[in-house]
Amino acid sequence: MNKRKLIKPLSYSVLIVALLLVPLLITQPYVLHILIMMAVNIGLASSLRFIATSGQFSLGHAGMVSIGAYTSALLVMKLGLSFWLAFPLSGLTAMCIAFLVGYPFVRLKGIYFTMVTLFFTEVIKLTAEQWRSLTGGVAGIIAIPRPNAIIIPGLLNANFASKADFYYLALMMVVFTLLILYAIESSRIGMTFLSIQQSEPLAESVGVNSSGFRVLAFSIGCFFAGLDGAFYCHYLSAIAPASFGFLLSINVFIYTVVGGMRRFSGPIMGAIILTLIPELARGVKEYEPFVFAGILLLVIFFLRGGVVSLPEKLSKIIKRRVAYA
Amino acid sequence: MPTLEVSGLTKYFGGLAAVNELDFHVRHGEMVGLIGPNGAGKTTVFNLMTGFLRPTKGKVVFKGKDVTSQKPHFIAETGIVRTFQATTLFSDFNVLKNIIAACYLKSKVRFWEATFHTSNSRKKEEHVLSRALEIMHFVGLDAVKDHPARRLPHGYKRILGIAVSMAADPQLLLLDEPLSGMNVEEADKAVALIRRIWERGTTILLIEHNMRAAMNLCQRIIVLEMGRKIAEGTPEEVRANEEVIQAYLGTGKHAT
Repeated sequence: MNKRKLIKPLSYSVLIVALLLVPLLITQPYVLHILIMMAVNIGLASSLRFIATSGQFSLGHAGMVSIGAYTSALLVMKLGLSFWLAFPLSGLTAMCIAFLVGYPFVRLKGIYFTMVTLFFTEVIKLTAEQWRSLTGGVAGIIAIPRPNAIIIPGLLNANFASKADFYYLALMMVVFTLLILYAIESSRIGMTFLSIQQSEPLAESVGVNSSGFRVLAFSIGCFFAGLDGAFYCHYLSAIAPASFGFLLSINVFIYTVVGGMRRFSGPIMGAIILTLIPELARGVKEYEPFVFAGILLLVIFFLRGGVVSLPEKLSKIIKRRVAYA
Repeated sequence: MPTLEVSGLTKYFGGLAAVNELDFHVRHGEMVGLIGPNGAGKTTVFNLMTGFLRPTKGKVVFKGKDVTSQKPHFIAETGIVRTFQATTLFSDFNVLKNIIAACYLKSKVRFWEATFHTSNSRKKEEHVLSRALEIMHFVGLDAVKDHPARRLPHGYKRILGIAVSMAADPQLLLLDEPLSGMNVEEADKAVALIRRIWERGTTILLIEHNMRAAMNLCQRIIVLEMGRKIAEGTPEEVRANEEVIQAYLGTGKHAT
C-alpha cells in the first residue's frame, strides 16, 4: 500500500527532473522551440478541456489567447510595465472578459454556445485588425521586448536571450496550469462541473446554479488561455491578428479530441502528438489542416476515447482474442 | 397553515392553456396525489413550481415565501426538490457518486478551499460521504454501489432518481411518476420506500398513473383535466366523483 502511494509522486518528480535537464542535454534551438510550442499547446488544450468538463465546447480560445497576447504586449510597450507583472495581468484580463461575456454566453447551450464563442474569436480578430492606433492593425505589433532578466548573482542568470530560458518559463507555466486545473477538477467543484455536463436540469434540481458554474469553468479556462497568449507574444516577439483566428481555436479543439476528452491526460497527449506531427512532415506544412482533419476523423470513427484510451482498447481486444483461442 | 400555496397558476403554450387557473395547497406533513389523464398538465405544474418553466400568471408560495418564477437552484435551496419522469441521472457516475454529487447544497465551500483541498473542505466531504451512504442504505441500493448509473436496470434507476432528490434534503418532495415502467414487485418496493420517506417527515406531492398506488399512498388527491382542477378530496371521494370517472372513461356521447 505504502509503496504504491509512493510510486506516483516519485515518477512525477523523476519526470520533472528529466524535463529540467533537457536544455543541458539538448542544445539545438529547433528542438527546444518544438518543446516550448508543445508546452503552450498543452496549456491551451488542457484549459479547453477544463471548460468542456462543464458541458460546453468553446471555440473562443483563440480570442482569449489574442487578448492575453495584446494585453501583455501593450502593457509592457505602452505602459512600461515589467513582463512579470504584465504576464499574470494578461491572464486576469482574459478571465475578466470571459466572465463578462460568459453570462450572456452560457444562456446558450450546446452547439449555440460553441457558435457564439466562435463569433467571439472572430470579433476579437476584427477588433485587433481595425483598432490600428492601439493594436497596429493587420501588421500587428513587432519588437515586443523579451521578459525582463532575472539575475540572482551566482545562482541564476536568466536574460531570455536563449531558448533555454524560455523553455524553463514555459515548463513552469505548464506545470502551474496543470496543477491548478487538476486540483480544481479533483475537487467538489470539478464534480459539480461533471454533473452539469451529464444533466443540467438534474444538477439544477438539487440546487446547483449551473449558469454560475459554467461561467466559472469558462473564466478559469480562459485565464490560462490568456497566460499562454502573453507568453507566446514575448517568445515570438511579434504578433498579428492573423495568428489568432478560427484555425487556432479549431486546432486546440482537435488536440483535445484526438488526445481524449474524458481524461485529464487526454489533451496533454493530444497536444504532444499533434505538435510533433507537423514537424515530422515539414515538407507538407501547408497541408497541415488536412492532416489534422484526417487524424480527427480517424479518432472519431475508430477511437472515440482518444489516444489515451488506446491501451485500454488494445487490452480489451487482446483479452477477446485470448478468450477465443 | 399550508406549506405550499399555489394560486391562479396558469401557463399558456401559444394559445393553448396547459395549466389554467389552478389553485391548490399542500399542508406540512401531507402526502398529496396529483392525477389526471395524459396531457392534463401535471408535469407542467411541477415545472412551473420548480422554476423550469415560467408561469404566464399565478403564484407559488412556499413557507410564506413567494418563489414564483425563481431559478430552479434557488427553489431547490428553499426546500422544494423534484424528480424527473424520464430516468434523468448523472449517468457516467456510479450510484454512490450520483448521491454524493447531489449533496451539493450540503457541501458548499469557498472556491479556494475546494481547490486546495483544505481540511475544512475535506471535513465537509467526509460528512457528505457518510450522508450519501446513509441515503444509499435507506433506499436499498447498497448492492449496486459501484455500478455506473447508465447500466442499472430501469427499476434501480428510478430508485436512484429518488435517492438523488433526497440528497438535496427536500422539505417538499415532488415525485413525477415514480412507478412508471416498473414491474409489480419493483412498484411495491418503491411504494414502501415513498411511504418511508414520508414517515421521516418529508411532505410529498406525487404524480402517478398507477391509480391503486396513488389511492393507497395519498391522504388527499387532486385531479386535473385539460389543465384545470376537476376534483379534490380523499381517495374515496375522488373515486366516486362523477366528473373524474368521465374524464378517465369518457362520457360515451362522443363515442361512435
